[in-house]
Amino acid sequence: SRKYTINNLTVTGAQSFNEQTVIAFTGLRKGDRIFVPGEKLSAVTKKLWEQNLFSDIAFYVTNIDGDLIDLELYIVELPKMNEVTIDGVRKGKRKEILKDNNLKPGVKITKNLVTTTKNYITNKFREDGFFNTEVIISTTPHLDSTGTEIAKNMRIAVDKGERVKVSKITFEGNERLSDKKLRRAMKNVKRKNIIRFWKRSKYTESSFEEDKANVIKKYKENGYRDARILSDTLVVKDEKNVTLKLNVEEGKKYYFGDIDFIGNSVYTDSQLRQLLGIAKGETYNGTLLQERIADDSEPDADDLTNLYQNNGYLFSRINPVEVGVRNDTLDFEIRIIEGKLAYFDHISVVGNTKTNDHVIYREIRTRPGQKYSRRNVVRTIRELGQLGFFDPEQLSPNFKNVDPNNGTLDMEYSVVEKGSSQIELQGGYGGGGFVGTLGLSFNNFSLRNIFNGSAYKPLPMGDGQKLSLRAQASSFYQTYSISLTEPWLGGKKPIQLSTSFSHTVQYFYDFSTRDVDKDRRFLITGGSVGLAKRLKWPDDYFQFSQAISFQHYNLKNYNTGLFTFGDGYANNLAYTVGLSRNNTATNPIYPITGSEFSITAKLTPPYSAFNSVDYEGLAAERAELDITTVDGRERIAEIDQERFKWLEYYKIKFNGSWYTRIIDKLVLRTNTEFGFLGAYNKDRGVPPFERFFVGGDGLGAFSLDGREVIQLRGYPNQSLSSNDGNTIYNKFSLELRYPITLKQLASIYVLTFAEGGGSYDGFRNYNPFSINRSAGAGLRIFMPAFGLLGIDFGYGFDPILGGSEPNGWETHFIIGQQF
Amino acid sequence: CGEYQKVLRDDDVARKYSMADSLYQKGKYKKALKLMEQIVPAYRGKPQAERLMFMYANTFYNLEDYYLAGYQFERFVTAYPTSDSVETAAYRSAKSYYELSPRYSLDQKDTYKALEELQAYINKYPNSELRLEANTLVTELREKLEKKDFEIAQQYLNIEDYKASIAAFENFITDHPGASLRKNAFYGRLEAAYKLAINSIPALVQERLLTAKGYYNSFVKYYANSDLKEDADKILAEIDERLVEEPTS
Repeated sequence: SRKYTINNLTVTGAQSFNEQTVIAFTGLRKGDRIFVPGEKLSAVTKKLWEQNLFSDIAFYVTNIDGDLIDLELYIVELPKMNEVTIDGVRKGKRKEILKDNNLKPGVKITKNLVTTTKNYITNKFREDGFFNTEVIISTTPHLDSTGTEIAKNMRIAVDKGERVKVSKITFEGNERLSDKKLRRAMKNVKRKNIIRFWKRSKYTESSFEEDKANVIKKYKENGYRDARILSDTLVVKDEKNVTLKLNVEEGKKYYFGDIDFIGNSVYTDSQLRQLLGIAKGETYNGTLLQERIADDSEPDADDLTNLYQNNGYLFSRINPVEVGVRNDTLDFEIRIIEGKLAYFDHISVVGNTKTNDHVIYREIRTRPGQKYSRRNVVRTIRELGQLGFFDPEQLSPNFKNVDPNNGTLDMEYSVVEKGSSQIELQGGYGGGGFVGTLGLSFNNFSLRNIFNGSAYKPLPMGDGQKLSLRAQASSFYQTYSISLTEPWLGGKKPIQLSTSFSHTVQYFYDFSTRDVDKDRRFLITGGSVGLAKRLKWPDDYFQFSQAISFQHYNLKNYNTGLFTFGDGYANNLAYTVGLSRNNTATNPIYPITGSEFSITAKLTPPYSAFNSVDYEGLAAERAELDITTVDGRERIAEIDQERFKWLEYYKIKFNGSWYTRIIDKLVLRTNTEFGFLGAYNKDRGVPPFERFFVGGDGLGAFSLDGREVIQLRGYPNQSLSSNDGNTIYNKFSLELRYPITLKQLASIYVLTFAEGGGSYDGFRNYNPFSINRSAGAGLRIFMPAFGLLGIDFGYGFDPILGGSEPNGWETHFIIGQQF
Repeated sequence: CGEYQKVLRDDDVARKYSMADSLYQKGKYKKALKLMEQIVPAYRGKPQAERLMFMYANTFYNLEDYYLAGYQFERFVTAYPTSDSVETAAYRSAKSYYELSPRYSLDQKDTYKALEELQAYINKYPNSELRLEANTLVTELREKLEKKDFEIAQQYLNIEDYKASIAAFENFITDHPGASLRKNAFYGRLEAAYKLAINSIPALVQERLLTAKGYYNSFVKYYANSDLKEDADKILAEIDERLVEEPTS
């Protein structure tokens, strides 16, 4: 090579780039002295390549005249993308492919882009079990109006083929563990099986790798410490099927020998040994040993690490060490470094932009000066999530200023507020006219700021109170209700105070003429105050509650089925006491395990015991009266007014639900309910209020009289009770649920059910086995902003009152009901 | 208003600038802001930008959009360190964070930021006219942080977790040496210790009463003439009475 002076530099092949721009970019100038070939030219070429704009770059010498040289830079510009079409995949996938590979108009189509896109698509479908996916990427020129090529169109044809299933999995070399057992250990790759609908058979490389590890784990759990997979073979049988063969070497079976604890001073050897739960002579199980020391799958586990971590030993370390092999026996030393006891110092919360400190700090179970406890940290996170004010996914405990020398640490809980208010606004035709409903529910309200104008941003929030307002109106009735719940009455103890008030006006409505007569009306005004307290005994899932409620009914020239009088009033003053237990709270929308039950008694004062009214006489007189005469009717109305002036009854209810996990997320809900309404004085009788109405969707849309509407699908609403309701009911229900999605945004699950129930008048007629049965299926959608929506199709196997044929199919819409 | 709409759709940057300027002078910030948003990118790097950027930041400030005001003033300070307005901008940047600081019972991230900014301002412009005002703001924010910690310790006392309350009050006393609530913290620690003692199992009462008495002594050492002395004396009287009832064994 020798040195030349550049005499001339030209650029050929450029389409969209200006020649001068390219020359400027190379940094070469006329008159530069360079070696040809030489480092300078290579560097320029490299620099140009790095732009990712060209598919070919070359320097040509066009003329040499002594010391002077003419150079030509030949470039081929990479085609620009005009449009991408993808065939053979769904729209959502298409978008994903475009986004992940950055296939946008204007990008340069490099070889690399084509290859990576191809690999990306192939791998993507392989992960879903489409093992034979083929991708063809072709480009066609895109011409402008003059016919010059200005860009290229890219076409991606995807043939994902059939999803590959595994028709056979065989093992070789396994003598101790059967093929069946090993196949079961493979959690991801399964053989074809029609019955196993919750896990489809499919083959993907990554899941197969995972399963190979699972097979080894299975061996380790059974004492085969040295087991390994010698080889694995995948045989493609046809387009749809592959078979897998694994060749294993089991090795020797081992047993636990001596397990010694070293370094423990707080707990004795025997305490630790008992918790470890592994005895000398047992089959060696490496997985179990690791789990008993530190179970990573469950932060709450009852293992050795947590024994220390839950009792202040934050700095403790526990390591199992294999110290000796005697024939088939493994001796272990569990080496413990206990470290100094750690105490919480500062406890703080960050991220609460709406919720006041006091609402959060009272729920925190780690307090300044307390011994460190991992369990309490975990529980705090769980319980803060349950408040409903924060995004449970984003709650985190941050360890700060951890100081092993002083034995202190600060704990900072980081929270992220989420919207916790709901609004319900609906209108529709029903009950003979337009019905409008407005409901507002604020779950993190601040009552003390209600008159503080500057707190309205847009509403006073942050004190953890719940305020609900609801108004419903149509042409002939209006109902208003307001309720307020304070979870920590007085801020001292978790005693929940709930108060509510409601008022309903109903005018006489002539359904034939659609006239409203405002002189004839029925008013119900009432309220309640209740206290609920979490108990510590028998366990802290128990809640004890008490409430006083009052309702006043007032009739003016208004006849309803409830009363024999059209003018008059009735009062319903009652005391309710209840005990409930609910440990399903981890996911209240879709409980997987746990149970909830409640038993309540609602009692009125026994007026008849001391008000010296002769009910026996009145009852006798009423029985004699002739309802067809005017005088008789009037007297009956008078007597009933006396009977219902203050309602007198007692009501007992029981409700229990159990959630059992069958497999994966398939859950069985078993439910049983019972209710009984009785009278203290049989002459005064059971009032026509507070009764049970069984059948239908269970939605108590507009309840005037404290009625209890009991869901029983497969039958029309309230069809299984007499017109005035019954005094006893029971119900049994089995429901099998399977979730489609359990995301924050929406929880959706499908269900099938079988249930039966009935209602009866008095114990004389009570027969728990005389029930109406039904079965069916449905769907539930829960979205935080809308609440619960659902639809059920139920088939009633038994006739309803007065019929002889099975009731047949019914469709039920479920709105806002939570269970 | 027709004129404004025309200019808003116009391409003439200079016209937008002069209209934005006059709207800004008249205090019509919302309208001015719309125009400024359009021209800010075009003026970046030009000589007029200094004045425009200050106006821009100040518009956010006047519209009480303190997040953006703080940010824009901060940018101004970095971009034009020699500007005549730099001192004002630095102050308003800090003041914006001060405005963002929420009530004491919420996350105080912005309070810390404001304190940092205000302190930086005071250090950088020790002779500024606004120094006194800046110092007032600093005091106010410090007191907010003190109140937060104090209320948390007080809440532990309310929910009857006395040990946590004592620990929290002690942290308060260490963390806030010059606090105006320090007196109340000393008293709170005494009250929590006394209540812990009388709610303890018999074997511990004696020892814990003596601890409480120790806290009483520290209280009077510093605050013998305070309004809480009388209440503290009442507690002391009760402690002594109980100590007599349960003589040292």
